[in-house]
Amino acid sequence: MSAPMTVAECPTCGYLAYPPRILCPNCGDSDWKRRLAGSGVVTEVTVRRPVFKRRQLPWGNWLDQEATRLAAVQSDVGVRIIARVPEGVEVGDRVALVQQGSTAIALPGHQVEAVPLGEEPAARVNPPLSDWPGRQEGE
Amino acid sequence: MSSGSEARIVGAAEATYERHPAVERRTDTFIAEAVVAALADAGVDHGEVDGFGVASFSLAPDHAVDLAWKLGLTVKWLMEDTNGGASGVNMLQHAQRAIEAGDAETIVIAAGDRMEKREFHLMTDRYNKVARDYMAPLPLNGPNALFAFLTERYSRAHGLEREDWACVPIAQRAWATKNPGAVYRSPMTLDDYLDSVPIAPPLTRYDCVPIVSGGDAIVVTSAERAEELGGPSVGVRAIRSIYNPDQQDGDGINTGFAAIRDDLWSAAGVRPEDVGAAFIYDDYPVMVAVQLGDLGLIPGMDIKRYVHKTLLEEGWPMNTSGGQLSAGQAGAAGGLHGIVEATRQLRGEAGERQVEGLELALATGYGMVLYTHGASHNAAVLERHG
Repeated sequence: MSAPMTVAECPTCGYLAYPPRILCPNCGDSDWKRRLAGSGVVTEVTVRRPVFKRRQLPWGNWLDQEATRLAAVQSDVGVRIIARVPEGVEVGDRVALVQQGSTAIALPGHQVEAVPLGEEPAARVNPPLSDWPGRQEGE
Repeated sequence: MSSGSEARIVGAAEATYERHPAVERRTDTFIAEAVVAALADAGVDHGEVDGFGVASFSLAPDHAVDLAWKLGLTVKWLMEDTNGGASGVNMLQHAQRAIEAGDAETIVIAAGDRMEKREFHLMTDRYNKVARDYMAPLPLNGPNALFAFLTERYSRAHGLEREDWACVPIAQRAWATKNPGAVYRSPMTLDDYLDSVPIAPPLTRYDCVPIVSGGDAIVVTSAERAEELGGPSVGVRAIRSIYNPDQQDGDGINTGFAAIRDDLWSAAGVRPEDVGAAFIYDDYPVMVAVQLGDLGLIPGMDIKRYVHKTLLEEGWPMNTSGGQLSAGQAGAAGGLHGIVEATRQLRGEAGERQVEGLELALATGYGMVLYTHGASHNAAVLERHG
């Protein structure tokens, strides 16, 4: 079962975090709510060939290994998410972001079928953190 | 109350890096060999050591004090560092202050790991809670994919092709041919690089460090003791560090090194163009470019010209051991590898690859991927004395 991707949102200042943090880096608050991050754009893709034929996960079960296609996805709410992607998803594609447990997956297309958390939020990127010298704008 | 003095590095050594060590050669073995060799290099007696710092991914369930016991060291100053690729510079920063404050006079800083493929992947799957809970299940299979993303991003931002990236490992391999301690020593051609096995495209085998087992150590003592010991020693002009500068919200190619740059050079009282060699934490070629750029070593940020002309054609001394890309990455020892080579070069002990007349050098540390990129950044400006 997969569910639409959600990230943590600080209700005080709107800072978005994925994976979740304990204190908000922007305002220090410790209350978080969930915010839908169900879509985004693929910025980079790579393929990892398997390291071992079978591999044991940290919690004990064994997994047969295949090549894994991985992507960095800029979610529409502004948080970068590292996700598994199926064959055919390329750089520049719009994707739907879903989660299976704590695993992020980006699927072709941008429509998220189930929207259990209210209406699709307007895009918002993180407010700038306190400036540090040398910090530059992204590309 | 004892008062301290300036700190000096008076010895440095490496336990020979091995790709497939015999079963009885454990993490402790490699660290101990490096410690013994560094003390011998310094001409310092084992009983004189009163401070010890260590970094290792595979010490558990032991800690620094267990290792001090096993090495027979009674110390007044003890630390264990968990900053991986940034652990060497971090321990040096702390050791320098301990010696200045008079808390200890002669400190051994060591790092090492027995690290083979299986141990490496167990380590990366449990690197931190985010790696264990969010990354291992993807499965991520270690950090290569994340640095493939950073390489793509940097290539796009600076217009680089694979032929440009090739300059970094090829230039470092040219140095490695003169380092008997490097695991890869045969010259690399552009075709070797372009034809190498894909690991996580665009990264191929030669963009990734060979996983090795090994250990590194340095001996740091007071300026007075260094004088008694005689011969050249290495002083610390300045060290600056920054951890978690961007909450992982940044792009990973504009880094905390830019945040510490101005303070580092002003505290050191020199400019980037004054250093005669650089020892850059080279887990991937992209991080070499990022650090050289963010720390101000690339004139006009013309990275393309820098890698082709300065590094490859002119052979400017950057990572003269061959770096981790050719010498190997022995787990946490990777964080000390550059300082060991910098010390050898500044003390004039680098043999066939010795840089003539070297007075000032830069050594950096980088590491600890929290989610998308490294969070630990530090840099040291080191100078020759005597």
